[in-house]
Amino acid sequence: MNDTIPILLVLIPGLPLLATIVTAIFGRYVLKENSHLPVVVALVGSFVCSAMLLAEVKLGIAESSKEGSPTANSVGWEVTSNLWTWVQVEDAITTSDVSHAAAATPAPGAEATPLPTSLPFTIEITQRADTLTAIMLAMVTFVSSLVAIYAGGYMHGDRGYWRFFCYIGLFVFSMTMLVSVSNFVLLYVFWEAVGLCSYLLVGFWYQKPEAAAAGKKAFLVNRIGDFGFALGLFLIWTTYGTLNFHDANGVAGVLGQTRLAQPSLIAGFSDSYGAIATAICLLLMLGACGKSAQFPLHVWLPDAMEGPTPVSALIHAATMVTAGAYMVTRCSPLFFASPDAQQVVAIIGGTTAAIGGVIALTQTDLKRVLAYSTISQLGYMFLGLGLGTIAGITSGMFHLFCHAFFKALLFLGAGSVMHAMGGIIDMRRFSGLRKLMPVTNWTFLFGCLALGGVIPFAGFWSKDAIIAATYERGVLEGIAVYKVLYWVATIVAFLTAFYTFRAYFLTFYGEERIPHEAGSHAHESPPQMTWPLRILAVCSLVVGAYFTWTGGFVDFLSKTPSLAFAPLAATAAHGEHSHEAHQLVSIVGTVIALTAIGLAAFLYLGDHTLIGKIKQLSGPLYYLSYGKLFFDPIYYAAFVWPSLQLAKLSYWFDRNVIDGLVNFVGRVPPWLGALLRPLQSGLVQFYGVAMVWGVLVLIVTLLVWPALSAALGN
Amino acid sequence: MAEVALLEKYLLIGALLFRIGLVGFFTRRNTIIMFLSIEMMLQGVSVSLVAWGRYHNDWGGQILVIFILTIAACEAAIALAVVLSLFHKAGALDIALWQTLREDNQPAFTDPKMPEPRGDDPEWPKLTPAGIEPTADPDEIIHRMHV
Repeated sequence: MNDTIPILLVLIPGLPLLATIVTAIFGRYVLKENSHLPVVVALVGSFVCSAMLLAEVKLGIAESSKEGSPTANSVGWEVTSNLWTWVQVEDAITTSDVSHAAAATPAPGAEATPLPTSLPFTIEITQRADTLTAIMLAMVTFVSSLVAIYAGGYMHGDRGYWRFFCYIGLFVFSMTMLVSVSNFVLLYVFWEAVGLCSYLLVGFWYQKPEAAAAGKKAFLVNRIGDFGFALGLFLIWTTYGTLNFHDANGVAGVLGQTRLAQPSLIAGFSDSYGAIATAICLLLMLGACGKSAQFPLHVWLPDAMEGPTPVSALIHAATMVTAGAYMVTRCSPLFFASPDAQQVVAIIGGTTAAIGGVIALTQTDLKRVLAYSTISQLGYMFLGLGLGTIAGITSGMFHLFCHAFFKALLFLGAGSVMHAMGGIIDMRRFSGLRKLMPVTNWTFLFGCLALGGVIPFAGFWSKDAIIAATYERGVLEGIAVYKVLYWVATIVAFLTAFYTFRAYFLTFYGEERIPHEAGSHAHESPPQMTWPLRILAVCSLVVGAYFTWTGGFVDFLSKTPSLAFAPLAATAAHGEHSHEAHQLVSIVGTVIALTAIGLAAFLYLGDHTLIGKIKQLSGPLYYLSYGKLFFDPIYYAAFVWPSLQLAKLSYWFDRNVIDGLVNFVGRVPPWLGALLRPLQSGLVQFYGVAMVWGVLVLIVTLLVWPALSAALGN
Repeated sequence: MAEVALLEKYLLIGALLFRIGLVGFFTRRNTIIMFLSIEMMLQGVSVSLVAWGRYHNDWGGQILVIFILTIAACEAAIALAVVLSLFHKAGALDIALWQTLREDNQPAFTDPKMPEPRGDDPEWPKLTPAGIEPTADPDEIIHRMHV
């Protein structure tokens, strides 16, 4: 078991990286139209490895629980494999500076290993396999394989075909590394790497000014989040004296089993380092906000839809944007130490869910609707993660897992529509496509049902789990914040179902209209594109129900050290309460979803006269939603415009003051030189005389100076 | 005492030679004369070296002089070649014709007494023909206009 896991962990990111290199070298001149082959093969291989890893992890857990080792049950199961040491600085921090030394009272039964007086700063390239990583790897490689196959058809004939697959391979490499490394610095490195890939792919059609601007916006907004993330890492380092997740060489990792096995540590951390714990969590959350497009940093995601649609599906719906949720889940022991930060996470999640839902109601661009729904669903995930119970966190992750399938499906479906409509994605320009594109129609419908939360589709189960966990915390335990969030989540569920089916009816129902850009050859997409849709449609039908009925997902995920440590695991058992909550919430959820769908059908299936009236009645509210709550103009006025003015001022200052100074300094030597220029007359004798005079001066100095100094000395 | 007196005389001779050479170098504009002046300076130095060698009863001074002579011979070969080619370019031996190393925008030194540069087609002295006349390559004649 321990032999295969490290190999698999290397193979999973290694194959896409290899494919990237091959495509980068041979893509342009050799592979050309076949550039997708290496990447597709590598991604499928990577998926197979991930599936094997999943099986190995499951086997490993079964074995260790059979042996009855206490660590496996109380602090989870993990395997780490160290590849090499990247950075090593001896005596980087003394243990007295670290709370670690004060709080590290060894747990009863554990060996009391005395800590060294100073700790080295080491960054080891260490990969880890635990249940969270295994799930993320399987999800990422599965979706990316399908998207790569799809993109082979979608991007066909594009000038940058090889470049596209090169970036996709690089992205999958970065993403798989992101979820499998076991160190905060490496997490940060690959966090940036996926951001880079996102930038490259959003701006893939860089000739389009909108695409270039969107890429820049995504990158810059992410900088704000990453800045917070970096500060959070610094604080973790000074607080814990290590940046490893796992435990190594007598040093307890931040999220390692040794540290998590000591309940006193978490408690002590919470009591004596309350402010620091909150600060760390809030800074990490800022990073997560940037990457996962949470309020107030969500503005980049809708613009990122300028990229090719497979990119929107892969990076901006299924995988990269969930990195923030992954990170928060990984750090859940830290968040557990700071209930304030936890509530902030939940509030941000709820707010984002509401904002995304409200804006998505009135957007006319199909991809924008999906983008705002992604923001909204990510808000749900963060709401779950901020609940501070094992049920909340696992439900957040479960939603992440299910969302990946159906949101990728919806985006790929939108891409299929766009492909047939000649690049038009504005829902006012086309309608009634269900006869024209039957496969896209039914797969898109499956995606909509899943997103809308209709039983038995995936979205129903995962969203239901989150709302039930919120209900439990808010209504049953009576915490006011969560109670409000429960209502928000329920209302947003209604909005979700409504805007999803609004988009569906507008696109696939009504009279058949096709924009003139599509020409006369609007047709269903080729099999290369429809088969991934079919597979994802089946997945979004079954994954939720399967894992909820078997309970496999939650049990499996709870074996992660971050989730299995005792104080958090203790929040799991609420018995019949949660069962009641689930029943109530699922009934309410189903009613709400069906009502919303019915309303959408009522409004959008017939003639659209009622909609005009509603628009008139709601007046400014409609424009508030249509204008995306005016985040962009507000941000422009508050941040972008001042920055621009500052930049202009700096430019002026640089041009006139600094350059003036430099130019002045540059003009001095020629000016001094001009004084000496007449000396260079070009006459040989003049030079000779100068030489003789020079020698005479030297001789006289040599003779006179000692005499003079002797005289003065006396 | 006699040794010191001898040394002084020789050093005086050396200094005089050097001085004559120096003054000649500064005051004459004919390249060959300037070159001869340089040689004279060298000989002045050589004389003082020999004198010091004699005074210290050391062969080192004489050995240095041998070196100087050797190097002066080489230098003479090079310098004469340079002078010759300068002459071919300018048609005169006046060093003031060669001021192009001066800084830009500096006024050139002009001597009102300087003779006019020669015309384009000067009359060159010819060797007396003797023996069989060599057949000259016409291309080479074109390339070597002045010889």
